[in-house]
Amino acid sequence: MTMTTRRILLLGAALGLSLAGAARAEPDPARAARFIQTTGQELVAAINSNAPVAQRRQEVATILRRNVDIEGVGRFILGRWWRVATPSERQEYLKLFEETLIHNLAARFGEYQGVRFTVGRTQQRSEDDVLVNTIIERPNNPPFSLDWRIGEVNGQLKVVDVIAEGTSLRLTQRSEYSSVIQRNNGQVSALLAAMRNQIQQLAAREGR
Amino acid sequence: MRLPVLILPLLTLLLLPAGCATRPDPADPEAVAEFEQTNDPAEPFNRTMYSVHQAIDSAVLRPVAVAYRDVVPQPVRLGITNVLGNLRSPVILVNDMLQGQPRRAGDTLGRFLINSTVGLGGIFDVARDHFGVRGHNGDWGQTMARWGVEEGPFLFVPILGPSNPRDLAGFGLGLVTDPLNWFGQGLAVDILTGTRAGMTVIDTREGLIEPLDEVQRTSLDPYATLRSAFRQRRNAEIGYQTDQAAPDAGNGTEQAPPR
Repeated sequence: MTMTTRRILLLGAALGLSLAGAARAEPDPARAARFIQTTGQELVAAINSNAPVAQRRQEVATILRRNVDIEGVGRFILGRWWRVATPSERQEYLKLFEETLIHNLAARFGEYQGVRFTVGRTQQRSEDDVLVNTIIERPNNPPFSLDWRIGEVNGQLKVVDVIAEGTSLRLTQRSEYSSVIQRNNGQVSALLAAMRNQIQQLAAREGR
Repeated sequence: MRLPVLILPLLTLLLLPAGCATRPDPADPEAVAEFEQTNDPAEPFNRTMYSVHQAIDSAVLRPVAVAYRDVVPQPVRLGITNVLGNLRSPVILVNDMLQGQPRRAGDTLGRFLINSTVGLGGIFDVARDHFGVRGHNGDWGQTMARWGVEEGPFLFVPILGPSNPRDLAGFGLGLVTDPLNWFGQGLAVDILTGTRAGMTVIDTREGLIEPLDEVQRTSLDPYATLRSAFRQRRNAEIGYQTDQAAPDAGNGTEQAPPR
């Protein structure tokens, strides 16, 4: 290899690297705040609408699928058990995880009737996520603070975690799921059975 | 009233070796890391204590909290919460100072003076509503943590809930160092102290009706959920991250002009 070609290769490699760097650009805090503003308003509108519960749940499901990194969060929560799980278990887990998320939120529609929120300060947390603070206000309830962790997935902003009073939802849920698997001798299938059972109960509760 | 509360943690520590969790296989570094992260070597024992707590809670604590909410109107309950918070101020103040936080100490002192007088003995949170000075928590466990004392293994104590040796010791110190527990003796004082302790339990449990119901309803392992949530929240409290920020003039559902 001549000196020149080597140089060109090196240059190409350097260019490629810098391009790759640009591609996984960190989310801009102002953009993340606007994202939470829009997503939050959509969510609040869906929760506060007069439509029947089933229809509201559909709307909420659409908003969540579009704005939450369901696969990333689901994988994070399964943690070390993701590698133990078979491909079909993984697939079923992600499906059940999404349903759990939607049903859990739908079960609280009544509680969140009349909810309002204010977007507060934003904070760059690491290279690939931004924390957006919101204050949630409900009628007859003291306001509380909720932080949204926003990441960028394939160029799109997505919610990757929700933090209430210093408690991260994904960390808490990882602890819960891992405990279920450990107490069932490391069987991922035991978690899936428990999740299926839970979704049935949540769906039954919603019907009332 | 005060004695059993102190005996409980001691009893817990004595019984501690009764149930220890089996350490994971050292060949599995991820399992070992998780075991250490969870910080619950006495898990079988703690789970037993958790079932004891749940039994007490569903038989007594929760029903009393629900009845309290049904019978006592919301403004009165808020007044009671405020009075109890105001009574905690001296201990919070001491801990703010020991943590080397003059600003937080100033807030606590100012709140105590204003709310005890203009706020009619702490019934109204005038300091927050009219001066914008919000209250914060402060306790001996937090001070020890900021001084570098480790939390020690996770403990679940019936009635008190999730804790650890450091915060349990802090809880005891909080009772001993509370100036309101120093003065006077006799039946009237005992009744007042007992009422305050009882009201604190009921007021706390009333505020937790929804979150705890939610955990019971949605968690596949409520014990694990509570353990993780408590430890994260406690760490945030120690780092002053749970101080409630006032909603600023941002946007959100309010159609304010973009900043």
